[in-house]
Amino acid sequence: MLTLQVNGTAHQVDVPDDMPLLWVLRDVLGLPGTKFGCGIGQCGACTVHVDGKAVRACSLPVSLVGRRPVTTIEGLAEDEVAAEVTKAWLEIDVVQCGYCQPGQIMAAIALLKGNLHPSDDEIDQAMSGNICRCGTYRRIRAAIRNVAGAV
Amino acid sequence: MRGLPHEAGGRALRRGRAFDLPGIGTIYAPNITPDSETGIGRYTDAQFDSAVRRGVGPGWRHLYPVMPYASYVKMTEEDVRAIRAYLMSLRPVHAPAPANQVRFPYNIRVAMIGWNLLYRPSGPLPDDPGRTAAWNRGRYLVEAAGHCGECHTPRTMLQALSMTKSYAGAMIDGWLAYNISSDVDSGIGAWSDTQLAAYLSTGHADGRGTAVGPMADVVSHSLRFLTPEDVAAMVTYLRSLPARRSDETIGVVSPETLAQLAPIHSNGERLFAGACTGCHLTDGHGRQVDFAALWGARSLGETDGRNLVRTMVEGGTLQTAHGAMVMPAFGPEYRNQDLADIANYAISHFGNREGHVTARDVAAARGGVSP
Ligand code: FES
Ligand code: FES
Repeated sequence: MLTLQVNGTAHQVDVPDDMPLLWVLRDVLGLPGTKFGCGIGQCGACTVHVDGKAVRACSLPVSLVGRRPVTTIEGLAEDEVAAEVTKAWLEIDVVQCGYCQPGQIMAAIALLKGNLHPSDDEIDQAMSGNICRCGTYRRIRAAIRNVAGAV
Repeated sequence: MRGLPHEAGGRALRRGRAFDLPGIGTIYAPNITPDSETGIGRYTDAQFDSAVRRGVGPGWRHLYPVMPYASYVKMTEEDVRAIRAYLMSLRPVHAPAPANQVRFPYNIRVAMIGWNLLYRPSGPLPDDPGRTAAWNRGRYLVEAAGHCGECHTPRTMLQALSMTKSYAGAMIDGWLAYNISSDVDSGIGAWSDTQLAAYLSTGHADGRGTAVGPMADVVSHSLRFLTPEDVAAMVTYLRSLPARRSDETIGVVSPETLAQLAPIHSNGERLFAGACTGCHLTDGHGRQVDFAALWGARSLGETDGRNLVRTMVEGGTLQTAHGAMVMPAFGPEYRNQDLADIANYAISHFGNREGHVTARDVAAARGGVSP
């Protein structure tokens, strides 16, 4: 039995030590907002926050999470930065098919929480591991710049 | 490579890992399950001991020293008997080993008699009463059972281990087995005891990187099962190895410094950001797991990037207490020049060295496809 802190709640989960956090979130805890893309840390679709940092949940064995708090896209309803990001995303109409977007948004929020006014280089650095098959990259960058300008 | 030769396709100990010895040929590790026809089922204790410690199988078949009997000769009889008892408890698998393909004159097995007279030590090392019990135990594990020198010590023209360059690092099967002598600049002299123990027992030490290639196999299937006392004993002994300087020196750049480095806008940097930062953050930490931390990794201080390129094109797996840590292989979707650019960027960023990796090197690591 492992205890996991997810979105502010402690969960007891009975899973193998090496199960990826992503599987636990989606299949055990029923939080499907985090997406599965590649399973090998290459696409960013599964990005969640562990202790505030953007990590790929597909490549993190659940037993290595420890006591660090996990936040998924479902856990950001009350979050101020998340509210600004959502607003900017809607204004610019970033989303196309949407599949990569939970990961994009989690990566953007982690970036902005650490650095409210990132330079273009810093945006590229933080976001380039998140792939978008629809090619919404330019709108993603524009939305992040808008948040940075707004706060 | 020598950590677990008797394994293929997940069916451990069955048979057949191939050893490619440049200029000599290909030698296959045989089945060592208790199968009576193709394995060791009919070996007596004495025959098993003779194969392991003297390199002479039943019927006076002289084994090639790919089987590291020149190290195992220093093991105790009791330990070899215990290994046989363990192997005999496994499920027998019927699987003949493929025939070795060995060129003249190396195909004359009796030639090994001469080699043995010249190079094989005569028996177990007596304890050195002037040293601690831990040192003596460590020497036994490093020199005999662990046979570290078989990879980490360069070989002479006649395939014997060099005495004057002991543990100074060597190429084996296209991988660089690093200098593990106590030299501060090119060996492990600057590693802390904690780092050494962590590396041996988990395959990773903060600020020293993570084992890949054959060393990942050695940790995955062997070293991580050692007791903490045995690991500490190995550390004690390794520390006492004479310093041997070699060409490649180690550059450790701290995460604090790495985080400050300005972007250079090269192709390699751009590709690294897209393909690698999912797991390897540019400040040297791992994004998900410490096993992906690159700061201080030796493969990034080596300007030819030999192990780095192999790792990129082959990927790698390290078994840990938390499951398998896997690096995916970077395949044909990347051009050779792209992988060379990524390697050179990583060497300059993390290793503070100028990398000399070429598209040709990548092609060679991919198996000779031209760039
Ligand atoms: S699913 Fe995790 S990075 Fe692609
Ligand atoms: S919006 Fe479709 S994959 Fe990004």
